[in-house]
Amino acid sequence: MAVGVIKVDRVSLKKAGGFMGINAMLKGLTVTGRHFFRNLFGWIVGKPQVFTVMFPEQDIAKPPSFRGMPVLVQMDSGKERCVACGLCEWACPVDCITIDPGETEDAIERYPRVFDIDMGRCMYCGLCEEACPEEAIVMSSRIEISAFSRAGTIWHKSDLLTPVDELPRRLDYVRRGYQR
Amino acid sequence: MSDDTAATNGRFKKPVKVVIDGREITAEAGHPLLQVALDNGIEIPHYCYHPKLSIDGSCRMCQVKIEKAPKLAIACNTPVADGMVVDTTCDEVAFARKGVMELLLINHPLDCPICDQAGECYLQDYSFGYGSQESRTSSPRRKGLKRHPIGERVIFDQERCILCRRCVRFTKEISKTDELRVFGIGDKSHIATTSERPLDNDYSINTADICPVGALLSRDFHHKRRVWFLQEHESVCPSCSNGCNVKLGIFRNEIQRMVPRRNDAVNDTWMCDHGRLNYHSAQDETRVRTPLVRADAHAAPGANGSGADVKYAATLDAALEAAAEKLRGAVSAHGGNAIGVLGSPHLTNEDLFRLVQLAQALGTANLDMIVPVGPSDDFLIKPEKAANAAGARALGVTPGDGGRDAQAILDAAKSGELRVLVIVGSEDAARVLGGDGIKDAVAKLDALIVVDANRSALTDAATVVLPGLVWAEKDGTFTNHAGRVQRIRQAMDAPEGIAPQGALFARLAALVARGAAPSAYDAGATLREIAAAVPAFAGIGFDTLGSSGLELQEPGAASAAEAAAPAQA
Repeated sequence: MAVGVIKVDRVSLKKAGGFMGINAMLKGLTVTGRHFFRNLFGWIVGKPQVFTVMFPEQDIAKPPSFRGMPVLVQMDSGKERCVACGLCEWACPVDCITIDPGETEDAIERYPRVFDIDMGRCMYCGLCEEACPEEAIVMSSRIEISAFSRAGTIWHKSDLLTPVDELPRRLDYVRRGYQR
Repeated sequence: MSDDTAATNGRFKKPVKVVIDGREITAEAGHPLLQVALDNGIEIPHYCYHPKLSIDGSCRMCQVKIEKAPKLAIACNTPVADGMVVDTTCDEVAFARKGVMELLLINHPLDCPICDQAGECYLQDYSFGYGSQESRTSSPRRKGLKRHPIGERVIFDQERCILCRRCVRFTKEISKTDELRVFGIGDKSHIATTSERPLDNDYSINTADICPVGALLSRDFHHKRRVWFLQEHESVCPSCSNGCNVKLGIFRNEIQRMVPRRNDAVNDTWMCDHGRLNYHSAQDETRVRTPLVRADAHAAPGANGSGADVKYAATLDAALEAAAEKLRGAVSAHGGNAIGVLGSPHLTNEDLFRLVQLAQALGTANLDMIVPVGPSDDFLIKPEKAANAAGARALGVTPGDGGRDAQAILDAAKSGELRVLVIVGSEDAARVLGGDGIKDAVAKLDALIVVDANRSALTDAATVVLPGLVWAEKDGTFTNHAGRVQRIRQAMDAPEGIAPQGALFARLAALVARGAAPSAYDAGATLREIAAAVPAFAGIGFDTLGSSGLELQEPGAASAAEAAAPAQA
């Protein structure tokens, strides 16, 4: 068979990293070591210079444009703003929202009897927030979804309800962003 | 009715040529311009016009420019005339529509998020298509009744009403009950019931269908599900022999609502409230979900009293074999006429055809059915409360030569003349028999085989229960009281492991005859067999039925087939 063989000039290990690559290894260890000793010194003198945030004990301040987990806005009365209109359910590209509407005696007539978000499936796109005509679902700064089972990643209405006082920055941002 | 009109039109009205948006269209003189445009796929927005109601002209939305006319004219109340040149898209028309939309929306609450009509609302559609995006008014909107129970099955929201008067005309012209009127003048006009009489006629929910906005709503569907989540399936209402055409709205394998579908030969665009709300029976708690065989199936039923009530779930194959064994035993020991077969007018034509074949395989002439009867009126509600009684008669679910009728079959079961009784659709039979009758019959019979989708007193007493499907879970056809064969479509997934009744009958017949197992049941193929075997059904198939159905061959096919039935059996 007429298969051509091309001979490639390999760069020898010696050239690339010295004997058995020790040169290259030393180069990396130097960088690591520099940081290690600088941080060690900082820690001893009480001025640590690490960039690592000690999550979850520490957290960073997130800007209002940050899209964390979607949550339901809870009014001062303790009830949700949501009227179960179903637009977020429709807008959701990954179908992670499940709403079962019900009727209430309040003037608003409708409320979500069931409002579930499968956080394991949510992709934090924020389309639910954009679709919502009532400013009832907004992207929060919450990001922890870990659970011991798949079912645990499904957040029910009681988990999602967040007092409106905790969300003023995001609500402002949403109003500005969508020119409401 | 519609045929008459067509004939009259053909005789007295000559075709005219009109030009709409540059397209030349031939239409019958005198037809509303709006309808002609809609029939030819030209959209003219409208609220108050409805093809089955008189013309009101109150919404002013359908204004169009007609050449040589002094000003814009409403298309609904303009009969087409020869040489008419119509423009539906010019700036003048667009400006008029925008103005109408603005006026309609001045007092509209815009509570779309909590309105059931959202998604199928004319006001939403036309506001998007023809309205202005901004409101120029700042004064507060008019307040009105919200969630007012205007009738037992209808909810009224006064703020949303645009006073198109479709509902008023409906109660006047179609239901002829005259409950709704417009009261007050100008800004104070509003819809209300006359002298506080509620909107409670048998057709009241139709007002919710024809309401172009969310002012009248069905209480059954109120805040139940957004319409854009519904999968719609064309079907036929199973509640009486009129066979009103319907659309089923399905969400997560459950029927959410049933709305009428236009068929001028059957129900125009209407249906009765009872039929509309009767879909709940298709998904209630009493469904039989597994085949059941009595533990002592090999002894006579009732022979050992104590354990007799215990029934064990079985596989379908085992249940069919147990039933076939009983049937074979009765045939060989006492002859075919020791078996009685009670069919059901609730089944499809295809199911019933297989039932007739089963009766033939058993060699019994005792084949009949019980047709439930109820109140009727002279509009859509028919006395026979089953969808397919006419089809059953046409197919020969009637006593054969020397065979017993339904009452005689049940009497014979009670007196011990019959050995095995096969009952399909047990509710009606259980009602006719009564509690004591069931006990008597079970004590005398060798076996009681019940085929039904729902539990009843008879399924509790049966030797073998074969579960079936309800109408919304299968394909097939129903034949209505006038002999019109109409298609029903599978709208819901069947519960796991449950086969359509036709398949059960076919397999049972094969087992009884110890023949080869029938090929997989297919409603379309069965209908082709029916068309070949039963003269009345000639030419009828899934491909020819369309969405509005076909009539059986002879007029009054039901009675003709009844006469022909003995020859068949």
